[in-house]
Amino acid sequence: MKRLYLLAAAAAATAFAATSALAEDTITVGFTASLTGPLNVDSAGQQRGYEFWRDEVNAAGGIKVGGKSYKVKFVTYDDQSVGGRVQQLYTRLINQDKANFLFSPYSSGLTAPATVITEQYGKIMIDSGGAEEKPFETGNKYLFMVITSASHYLSGAIDALKKYDPHAKLALVYSDDPFSKAVLAAAAQQAKAAGLEVVMDESYSPSTTDFGPIVNKIVSSNADAFLGGGHYSDGATLARQMHDQKANMKWISILVAPADDKFAELGPAALGVTVPSQWELQVNFKPQFGPTTAQFAKAFMDKMHAKADYHAASGYTVGVVLQHAIEQAGSIETDKVAAALNATDITTFFGRVKFATDPGHHGLQAAHQMVLAQWQMVNGKLGRQVVWPEEAKSAPIMFPIKQQ
Amino acid sequence: MPLVRLMRRPFFWILALAIAVFALAPVFGNNVALREALILDAVYITLASNLNLMLGYAGYINFGSIVFFGLGGYTCVWLVNSYHWPLGASLLVAGVCVSVLALIFGLGILRLRGAFFALATVGIVEAVQAFAENFTPWGGSSGIYLSGDIFTPLGGPARALWVIYFMMVAVMGLSLYLSYAIKSSKFGLGLLAIGQNEDAAAILGVPTPLYKALVYSASAFLPAIAGGLYFFKSAFIQPSDAFDLTLSTEALVVAMLGGQGTVAGVAIGAFLYEELRGYLLTSSMFANFQLFVSGALLLLIVLFFPGGLMGFIYRHFPRTQKVLE
Repeated sequence: MKRLYLLAAAAAATAFAATSALAEDTITVGFTASLTGPLNVDSAGQQRGYEFWRDEVNAAGGIKVGGKSYKVKFVTYDDQSVGGRVQQLYTRLINQDKANFLFSPYSSGLTAPATVITEQYGKIMIDSGGAEEKPFETGNKYLFMVITSASHYLSGAIDALKKYDPHAKLALVYSDDPFSKAVLAAAAQQAKAAGLEVVMDESYSPSTTDFGPIVNKIVSSNADAFLGGGHYSDGATLARQMHDQKANMKWISILVAPADDKFAELGPAALGVTVPSQWELQVNFKPQFGPTTAQFAKAFMDKMHAKADYHAASGYTVGVVLQHAIEQAGSIETDKVAAALNATDITTFFGRVKFATDPGHHGLQAAHQMVLAQWQMVNGKLGRQVVWPEEAKSAPIMFPIKQQ
Repeated sequence: MPLVRLMRRPFFWILALAIAVFALAPVFGNNVALREALILDAVYITLASNLNLMLGYAGYINFGSIVFFGLGGYTCVWLVNSYHWPLGASLLVAGVCVSVLALIFGLGILRLRGAFFALATVGIVEAVQAFAENFTPWGGSSGIYLSGDIFTPLGGPARALWVIYFMMVAVMGLSLYLSYAIKSSKFGLGLLAIGQNEDAAAILGVPTPLYKALVYSASAFLPAIAGGLYFFKSAFIQPSDAFDLTLSTEALVVAMLGGQGTVAGVAIGAFLYEELRGYLLTSSMFANFQLFVSGALLLLIVLFFPGGLMGFIYRHFPRTQKVLE
């Protein structure tokens, strides 16, 4: 009997030693995802990107710091898309789950409340799911964003228009939601700076289903370039109705909707439509760190059985950037890694990543460029091609749009 | 003096003890994780208790109680952000403004009864949300982001979250005492009469339109302050969060589960509901089907405890009726 006790004690001791050894070589990354509530579809894509990165890093032996390898462990909860819950859960992630680093929840509206907690405890949080700039203008020290912010979403479209049609007359028609309004407000300013004329600037309710009257207004404004949209259904309907009512636009840029493969269902109405995108499968940057686009896309397809989209790519990039900073810092201490993030300037398959370091915009993405994808006929089938910027393009731009 | 009369009853002291335990529980061991869970409990208890004034006493279903919370949040965050007012003054002004607004709204829509009143309250939520989305000083649909500096007057972010917690518990405590005080007053008796039969109450001399508007306005004051604290703490407010109908509906469900018309029942219902959600969300066993489990539990409660939690307790322990209000 006594022997049994000894044995049990020994077993417990080994188990304890094993877990503590394990704990020593693990980096805990915490985040919440919106598994329920209105943000769940977009949040799921981002989470797949995070998880795919973790699996890849661990399969390759973990993150290497000063001759030691750290495996990555995730702790994650459902935040129900509610700000108050986000604060509760990030407090828990930091204090109870002892997360070393944090990833952001999805959307600017949830990142802002999370930041109150992470900044307070001086924890690094990397953001890939909130494109608004306001959270970066409030003096945060440990918040970093890998994606291009809202005010630069349509910069590429404006540049392309300036090059191909400096006398374009623009109609800006967009959904009345925070993101679309921020994007189009910035686009209106950039258009003026580029000498383009804005002949119509109007928002519509996000629940609009019939765009007939709006399209009539676009036609009577004599606009020949369209910039706007918002979410999938309104963007797709706008494209279809502009085609049906023969609005004869030379240029159409719509947010979000044309980035979805479903957009091909519109047939001829989809042809020539451009969409700003954080990342496309066709993008060909030469990575200094991490996989190439082709390697990423194939590995993602093999493991997740789905085509990688930009939510997954930006989620993955968050991980890659953290890994790079930890390896550069040679430490998992927050201040050293934060310094390494401030100094980061690398190109991954997602594009260049560099963070603003001035106090008024600290952590905002300063280098990543959006690409402009255009729906074109590829081998007799509709598909997206990257047409802007010139150095990333996979096909020549179609301008003006040729109606069929 | 009514307060002295209330203080002679044991329930007054039971409440005081419960609130003190609630306030001090996370202080021991500096348990911030517990504090963050409890502050959400306090929000739910505040919302449900004030909703109970309308629902449980006067018998009016208000789907729009979230309007008070959201408007209070907006007023407070706006005053702090644009005019650099101190938090306390902003909260007080938010509470008073929203109450006055509720009185004006109330005199209008409280002519409606039953389902029509309930529908009108949903309409108010939509209207106020549309207003906030288009009101430029409030940031329109992208809302207001507060800078981290707002916590400096409260002693930095770490201390500020404690201060906010104690203030939120105070608001919760005041909500409970308000419910209790109204229930024990002549005003409360009038409301209960309206809840039983409004026409009969009017004939017996209860000034029904005035009482209804007053209770509607009273039920706005503390939720507005709670909203101010909540969104100040989040450092962010936008229309879709501020006027989220889900929270309104949850407050209704909670009040019914706990036992509408009772002070303790509604509070315990709100506490248990939020603790259950919080537990399911973070438990390794249930996290993946937390909605399913909470749905099934709610169904069981509705099926087997139709009178809510207090109804069950009163039936099985009749003597508690004298102690627990």
